[in-house]
Amino acid sequence: MEPSLASRKKSIAGPSQEAQTPALTDGVDRWWLLLLAVVVVTWLLVRTRPDPYLRIFTFLLDGVRVTLGITVASFVFIMIAGLLGGLGRISKNPLVNGAASIYVELIRGIPLLVQLMFIYYASPIVLRGLGQRLIGVLPSVAQWLISVKINPFAAAVGGLTICYGAYMSEIVRAGIESISKGQSEAARSLGMSYFQAMRHVILPQAVRVILPPVGNEFVALLKDSSLVSVVAVADMTRRGREFMASTFLALETWLMVALLYLVMTLFFARVVAYIERKMQFVR
Amino acid sequence: MSDSIIQIENVSKRFGHVVALDNVSMNVRKGEVVVIIGPSGSGKSTLLRCINHLESVDSGRIVVDGIPLTEAKNIDKVRAEVGMVFQLFNLFPHLTALQNITLAQRVVRKRPEKQAVELAHELLGKVGIPEKANAYPAQLSGGQQQRVAIARALAMQPKIMLFDEPTSALDPEMITEVLDVMLDLAREGMTMVVVSHEMGFVRAAATRIFFMCDAHIVEETTPDGLSLATCKEERTRQFLSKILS
Repeated sequence: MEPSLASRKKSIAGPSQEAQTPALTDGVDRWWLLLLAVVVVTWLLVRTRPDPYLRIFTFLLDGVRVTLGITVASFVFIMIAGLLGGLGRISKNPLVNGAASIYVELIRGIPLLVQLMFIYYASPIVLRGLGQRLIGVLPSVAQWLISVKINPFAAAVGGLTICYGAYMSEIVRAGIESISKGQSEAARSLGMSYFQAMRHVILPQAVRVILPPVGNEFVALLKDSSLVSVVAVADMTRRGREFMASTFLALETWLMVALLYLVMTLFFARVVAYIERKMQFVR
Repeated sequence: MSDSIIQIENVSKRFGHVVALDNVSMNVRKGEVVVIIGPSGSGKSTLLRCINHLESVDSGRIVVDGIPLTEAKNIDKVRAEVGMVFQLFNLFPHLTALQNITLAQRVVRKRPEKQAVELAHELLGKVGIPEKANAYPAQLSGGQQQRVAIARALAMQPKIMLFDEPTSALDPEMITEVLDVMLDLAREGMTMVVVSHEMGFVRAAATRIFFMCDAHIVEETTPDGLSLATCKEERTRQFLSKILS
């Protein structure tokens, strides 16, 4: 009985082990294939039916550049805002903590679209009103306030930064709090200041923890950047609307827009997954 | 006492309703090895953590190397002179053993990289694991991690070393390797304050022993006086009967 049992065990173990590590996809992230499929579909549409798909594609290209530009520019500021907001949220100073908490709580409660509308359409009125009050006191500043024109691109980046900065603050806070207290105690007991301990001990570890949610935020930001089309920024969504308005090709236009967003989001999701894998360290 | 390096005067500390330290006073002279023993929750660790201001005191005064902690302008400067070793090692997991030891040297002491690395290698040799310089903490055993932690503290060339139950989280066979390092340090004349129940170490290295119970220092004795026959207090004898058996 014994040898037959052993050989059966072997035969069970053999194939299942192979199934765990198929040679073809070993070490390769299979989701890249989905991205490849979307790229192929887009390419086929453009090649097989250049009218209207190639026309739409070329018309949208400007918008792709704007969408990417806004997303990347906003993301840089969002990281800074998130770091400051997150540090503020864990600060023991009641003033700093209060300011950061109010910022996070208020901004998270207002839809991004409303915030963008406010910055682009309402804030010039506020500034003008402020300028009119200051005209007797600080004429030069008042003049500038009254005549200031809100640049659409700046308004878009500003709006996205304020909104996503609040979310990012919470992610950074949670990341820092996930690092055990012993780490900062060890750093401080070596004579490091609060900021030295943050910079060299806490944040390098927190970054690895928050990388997945930060990556998610980037992809979500890329999609939400379509909202800036309401404040006169010619991003991909706005270009799509313009094209549809002149050609009435609703299905083809929005199909192309959706595919191009998918290519971008799937690509960045893979990049994030790749970086995540690279940054894992032995625990 | 002109040569006393730590003066603790009437220190009290509470956490909410729990009194951790109640009017505790204690002096440590240069080169002494002071061991604090006592049941858990008696305030040993809190007292130790007050010495490098990881906890602030509610009342009383602690003077370390002539600097009163409550009035110290720069607590980081005081801490740099006081090394601390933790029960759970608290090595930085994202850095190698070598980087763990060089980080504070470079950041706090502003030593050049080369000099910091040299000292780190020297200290790793001293704690007996020169070959582990490039290992990450997760690749080291508990005993090795604790020895790296000791080397990390020593790299600051502190005047005082604090040990907070340094062997409690270790397997029995790893305890000796850490205690040996601590014994060497004691022989070299390092001022040490140790919270530990390792009686072998206590007998071999301690200058004085404090027994703490319920936020008080109940009794002070020497290794020779640390026996059921010689201890005066009933509470000390009770505790000793448990750990000496």
